[in-house]
Amino acid sequence: MMKLAVVETRLLTREPGALFSLLIPLFILVVFGSSIEPGDTVLLPMALAIAVGMVGLYLLPTTLATYRERGILRRLSATPVRPGNLLVVQLLLQLILAVTACGLLLAVAGTVLGARLPTGVASAALVFLLGTASMFAIGLLIAALAPNGRAANGIGVLLYFPMAYLAGLMQPKDQMPAMVARIGEYTPLGAFGQSLREVWAGGAPSPLLLGVLAAYALVVSLTAAKLFRWE
Amino acid sequence: MAVIEVTDLRKSYAGLTVLDGVSFSVEEGEIFGILGPNGTGKTTTVECVEGLRRPDSGSIRVLGLDPVKDARKVRERIGVQLQQTQLPENIKVWEALDLYASFYADPRDWRELLEEWGLADKRDARFGKLSGGQQQRLFIALALVGNPRVAFLDELTTGLDPQARRTTWELVKKVRASGVTVVLVSHFMDEVEELCDRVAVFDRGKVVAIDTPAGLVGGEHRMRFTLMTEDASGQGDTAGLEDLPEVIGVSREGRRVVVTGRGDFATAVTAHLARNHILVSDLRIDKRTLDDAFAALTGRSFE
Repeated sequence: MMKLAVVETRLLTREPGALFSLLIPLFILVVFGSSIEPGDTVLLPMALAIAVGMVGLYLLPTTLATYRERGILRRLSATPVRPGNLLVVQLLLQLILAVTACGLLLAVAGTVLGARLPTGVASAALVFLLGTASMFAIGLLIAALAPNGRAANGIGVLLYFPMAYLAGLMQPKDQMPAMVARIGEYTPLGAFGQSLREVWAGGAPSPLLLGVLAAYALVVSLTAAKLFRWE
Repeated sequence: MAVIEVTDLRKSYAGLTVLDGVSFSVEEGEIFGILGPNGTGKTTTVECVEGLRRPDSGSIRVLGLDPVKDARKVRERIGVQLQQTQLPENIKVWEALDLYASFYADPRDWRELLEEWGLADKRDARFGKLSGGQQQRLFIALALVGNPRVAFLDELTTGLDPQARRTTWELVKKVRASGVTVVLVSHFMDEVEELCDRVAVFDRGKVVAIDTPAGLVGGEHRMRFTLMTEDASGQGDTAGLEDLPEVIGVSREGRRVVVTGRGDFATAVTAHLARNHILVSDLRIDKRTLDDAFAALTGRSFE
């Protein structure tokens, strides 16, 4: 199991996609970061949501679907090690990647850009955890449904943009139709982004949105588990 | 001792019968061939034996264990090379071997395997950069890294050039020589004839014959020739051929003669002709092959 984790980590570092999910949100942050006012509560949560969304919706499902497509999971079932171990290792690694991406964003924003960091560390961590869980659940569902790696990647892209739009990550929410913005708040990425903004504004995240995130995480991952095929 | 015992295996998918009562046993230390055209249940059978699939009914024993109930124990003792599996594009050869070695309780030293399978200079190469033959050798090395008692090799030379196939065959013989029982799934007649001690011939989800390759081909070969000289007595030239112990029958039509026989009958016939100063032309020997045997067993040609 340890060796599997080490090898998978090496493979992840050789994957250009992993680097992109670290750099793209950072790039967005830095480009727009020069124009924000001190005390801004929008940009950093947006960059964080984008980072977690990219890992959960692109990288995770593409990796898993490719492993199945290439028969790697099947080959593993012919050894004493269960292929489920590979799944667990991948989930942990992608979680570490998401944490790293967010850590990098916070560090850059906090030092170079002098952006506002939340005071409620516990609630920020809770939001991050639930948001990441719901993103990963969707990633797992994509991995379960996609026939191969390329399809998983395609579905990821196809889902990401409408979700990012509805979540208000592509334009400020006050410029969106009120109805759309309202619905968007209850999409996984929207609830995640909104909860982050609430934490950044210094308040507590709304229990309703946290419940929405938890429900997504639970229901979607159970569906994914039910539909997942090893070969 | 039987290493694998399969009894009356049955499986169907969506009403389609894939395995229709498959039985065979594999003895310790042999190369056992599973031969048949594509889609006759070879791979399904082997995957049931490996515990990757469950049969609808029938019993399987691998080293005395049930591959479903004692899955872990069985997997610890078998090595598998699957059809159509890949490794991650970016994994290095040594990493793959090192990783798979870590899955087993008592693995072989993967550095030895690297040498044995001619991959030493590809140690740090990534899987995606290997040639077809190198990838195939790596898969076989991965099948052996757990120090298995039985190795399953499924279509191991598909896609290889003739030279690489020959090399792979020699390596498979070395695997047996090291004491590992080998189950070889193949749709290549020449491969099975070259390597296997015994062969189970599959057709439409059934085993239609189990025998040695020579036994399957059967003794009967044919030799044809044309007599160069007309003889007055009519039968005189070929008289005595029937009495040769290797000859089964002689038929003659004018000057054209067909002799059927078994074993090394061709040498006996030509020696007889030479002794009696009989000149012949257009001499041809039709050896029966596994293809002929398959056609005789199933009533259809192989491909």
